Amino acid sequence: MLRFPYRARPRKMSRQRLPEEGIIVGQEGRLQRLRQLVTGLVRYERIETVYQHCDETRGYAERLIHTAIRNGDQHQHTMEMADYWLNEKDLIYKLFDVLVPRYQNYSSAFTNIYRTPIVYPGRGTEMGILELKGNPWPDVLPKQRDNRYVISNVLLQAARKDYNTSKESRKTKNELNSSSENSET
Amino acid sequence: MASYSRRILPCFWKTTKLLTFEDSARRVPCRYHQELLPTRNYLLPETVEEHRKSELSKHPELPPSITSENVPADFRFVYPEFLPDPQYDRRDSIRERLEREDMYRRRAVIDIPEFYVGSIMAVTVSDQYSPNKENRFVGICIDRGGVGLRAFFILRNVVDGQGIEIMYEMYNPTLQSIQVLKLEKRVDDKLYYLRDAPQEYSTFPFDMDPIPVPKGSTVPVNKMKVQLNPRPWLERWERQDLQGVEDLKLEQRFYDKAAKVAKPWEKYDLMKWYRENTNEEERDSIMQEVHQRKRLTDIEKSKRKTKLAERKR
Repeated sequence: MLRFPYRARPRKMSRQRLPEEGIIVGQEGRLQRLRQLVTGLVRYERIETVYQHCDETRGYAERLIHTAIRNGDQHQHTMEMADYWLNEKDLIYKLFDVLVPRYQNYSSAFTNIYRTPIVYPGRGTEMGILELKGNPWPDVLPKQRDNRYVISNVLLQAARKDYNTSKESRKTKNELNSSSENSET
Repeated sequence: MASYSRRILPCFWKTTKLLTFEDSARRVPCRYHQELLPTRNYLLPETVEEHRKSELSKHPELPPSITSENVPADFRFVYPEFLPDPQYDRRDSIRERLEREDMYRRRAVIDIPEFYVGSIMAVTVSDQYSPNKENRFVGICIDRGGVGLRAFFILRNVVDGQGIEIMYEMYNPTLQSIQVLKLEKRVDDKLYYLRDAPQEYSTFPFDMDPIPVPKGSTVPVNKMKVQLNPRPWLERWERQDLQGVEDLKLEQRFYDKAAKVAKPWEKYDLMKWYRENTNEEERDSIMQEVHQRKRLTDIEKSKRKTKLAERKR
């Protein structure tokens, strides 16, 4: 079961120009392009292309890992799928020996997807980053430092707390005074 | 304000045709499009999960959660109609559950046996216009499909030289009995090509005796090859990769065209399979539920039988 939102219908991808086969159009060309992307993702664990292509690749890569986890390497259909989707055949070993042990106890998706800013001037395409979780690269998003307990913040927080309490006490004093004045009159 | 309303519906006075809602929605600028579309009644999965885990939803009358059972591997081929429609925008977990409950209740009353495409079956339906108020039909199952209470199968036979096909809904309350006369599979998923075959391939006598299959044995596969009539046909059978058909004896140009329009890469499209089928985890959980409920209904049925036997004594 895929653990991320996927589209109800596949995206149409524009025709692909491949070095050996030439230009391939339609469904077949789409799958050829996705094969390249899945192979790249398993090889380098992080790829950067058009965001829509990243999103399409994500489903295929995750389904491949899911079937590998579920059926193991002794299953004929799973091996056929691995053979088709991984253009470089040494990656079949990586799929079963590295990725399956890494992800078999996961309860979330196996990949992350990010949008990258649109570069100006440029083609204006929405670019994205797709990565396998647990990869050796540095994080895409900068880690937020937890600075709640830095000395300056602790002091500021205490000062804010003091100010609020003193304000409240002043308020209650004023209210008491005004009520006593009213009762006197 | 006036300019805004003019921008939203610019085409109403320009066309003579009365525009439907969809037409007008297509013509509005992009920023108003979302607001004008009908909103789908939709709950986030997290909200549903939260509600499911809350104390309020623990109902004492609901059956306990399913324990892991050893479900036979071929169970999903015997009860395929219990699996939900895989298209997620058509799904509703509560409706699916209620439908399954109805199906269990119907199965407790009527015996719906195991059958496959290619099995020869006899179905009795109540019919108010026939002299004995019921109608019996015998035929070969050429297709099976549908989801939930709308599951169906199609029987085909030849009566007085005329091919007859009847589609029965499996959970239709007017069905009185379903009997499998010969339990077997064919090598194809659908046998619509029998329409273009000689009539002897789909002729079965109405007084056919049931052929029992020994218990514990696997379902036999009939590898019979059908010789189709010469063209013209109802469909282009040469393009459908049929296994149960003899050589079609066509000109080479038909096979060339079939090879040209074939889509051999579709079997590798993992997401296509995923979108068109119920995924494995969900399938297993539903089949476990079906297995458990079947065991319970079998126990109840046997109890009822013993009670009846005692009464007769």
